[in-house]
Amino acid sequence: MTCLPTQPAAASRGPKSESTTVNAGAATGLRLAGVQTLALTRRSVVSEWRQLGNVIPGIVFPLLLAAVYTHQFTRVILLPGFPVVDSFLDFVLPASLVQSVSFGATEAGTELARDIENGFFDRLRASPCMRLPLLLGRLGGAVVVATAKGVLIIAIFLLFGTKIAGGLAAAVVLVAAAVLLVIAIGGLGQVLAILTGSQEAVNATFPLVFTSIFMSSAFFPTNLMSGWFREVAEANPVTWIIDPVRRLILEGWSWSDVGQALAVPLVISVVTVAMAVIALNRKLSSS
Amino acid sequence: MVASAICGRGMRRIMARPTLIMPVLLMPLIFVLSFTGAFGSLTRVEGYGTDNVFNWMAVYAAMQGAVFAGVGGASTTAEDIENGFFDRLLLTPGSRVPILVGTMAYSALRSTIPTTGVLLVSALGGLGLPGGLLALVTVYVATAGMAAAFCLLGLAVVYRFRTMRSMILIQVCGFSLMFLSTGQVPIHFMNGWLHTVARVNPVTNVLRFARQGFLGDLTWSMTWPGLVALGAMVAVAGVLAVHQLRRLAA
Repeated sequence: MTCLPTQPAAASRGPKSESTTVNAGAATGLRLAGVQTLALTRRSVVSEWRQLGNVIPGIVFPLLLAAVYTHQFTRVILLPGFPVVDSFLDFVLPASLVQSVSFGATEAGTELARDIENGFFDRLRASPCMRLPLLLGRLGGAVVVATAKGVLIIAIFLLFGTKIAGGLAAAVVLVAAAVLLVIAIGGLGQVLAILTGSQEAVNATFPLVFTSIFMSSAFFPTNLMSGWFREVAEANPVTWIIDPVRRLILEGWSWSDVGQALAVPLVISVVTVAMAVIALNRKLSSS
Repeated sequence: MVASAICGRGMRRIMARPTLIMPVLLMPLIFVLSFTGAFGSLTRVEGYGTDNVFNWMAVYAAMQGAVFAGVGGASTTAEDIENGFFDRLLLTPGSRVPILVGTMAYSALRSTIPTTGVLLVSALGGLGLPGGLLALVTVYVATAGMAAAFCLLGLAVVYRFRTMRSMILIQVCGFSLMFLSTGQVPIHFMNGWLHTVARVNPVTNVLRFARQGFLGDLTWSMTWPGLVALGAMVAVAGVLAVHQLRRLAA
């Protein structure tokens, strides 16, 4: 049973001036939200840890796909227009990472929907817990899992000979971009969870995520695609994230690539999490 | 009689709830569009075997759909076990095997939905039929066989674990077998361990059999290994399923 801290420490102190009290109150509120978020994040991580069987396919499947593509596309990397790489493995690293974290990305929404279905969410609402941590706690769990997956996937790729031209810093950006993408997808899942209260509805977003990865530059450069598919791939935000990350891996460090790799998922994250907060506020004020 | 009733029940279920068709149909369509769109340039690599990527990928996507159809068929049994209906079936007198045969027939029949969908979409993309109408027959035979094999494999797992969640094992198994075959490129494009695995993977022979009519004329030398592979997969999965069913019923 999760025990959430609820008592603001400042409230128990002696009398102060009005502005000092307001500032202290805001700071205490923020600290309290942080502590509650951490407590709910911990609960979420423990829940994932107890269901490792759900996490493993998200690691094994992208690695299997990368291994298969590396051995079947040896002639493909010689096509004119294909980026200069030693092996397809170097090319596919960002795709594998994005695919891996996407497997668990909807989990933040699914778990929230489960909490709504089994009544735990109502108990949290009845407690003096702040609203934002209810959402951020679940997202925090997804972030921790995504970070662990990211580090593991990169380590395995390095073990099999992948070289990251941008160095350790590029690897950090790669993981950060993947984590931001998880927040973006997780936020969307939470919107659906709040609106429908159904795990099934949240799970239905997985094919959408899966498709958006395949219909991007994840597994093939867009300049070698043609027709409507190329246009879709070029307009796909997943391509806007993968392309700069891939340049960091293949070509080396570039601040503009770092900016693009992080800004795109950050903007989408802010939008989806804001939508989740609005949906939650509406749900709570209507009930 | 029992087998046809179970098969009919499954089909009526699909008619009553069209949303059940969507996952079976949608994923193979996404596959055919994604693979042909993303990997269209493969035809520019010497030795690919066709200049129209739909002729290569359509069969692969249809086979993926057949695997989904097979697993979906086994999932209905998982649902029946979870809600208690299967216990009532076991209480009926007579052999248990028709229960299994009916579910397998339902899966095979269900596989015609994604196969038809994939072929229609691929036809819009310019799918050619150098092997004539027999090419279509081979695809339907291969996909029905794959659906039957994966349904039986799914049933073996469901009878053993008695949960819907256990279906993920068969999904992963199906996905892996498909990816470790000549689904996307010819075998001579592969190297290392993948070449070895794809060569011994029975799905490679099934794909050769089903795809031959889209790449050229049908030949017996391409046909019999595929039929043997299908027969062997159905036989092995069938033995496993019957064994687990007897264990469950005992």
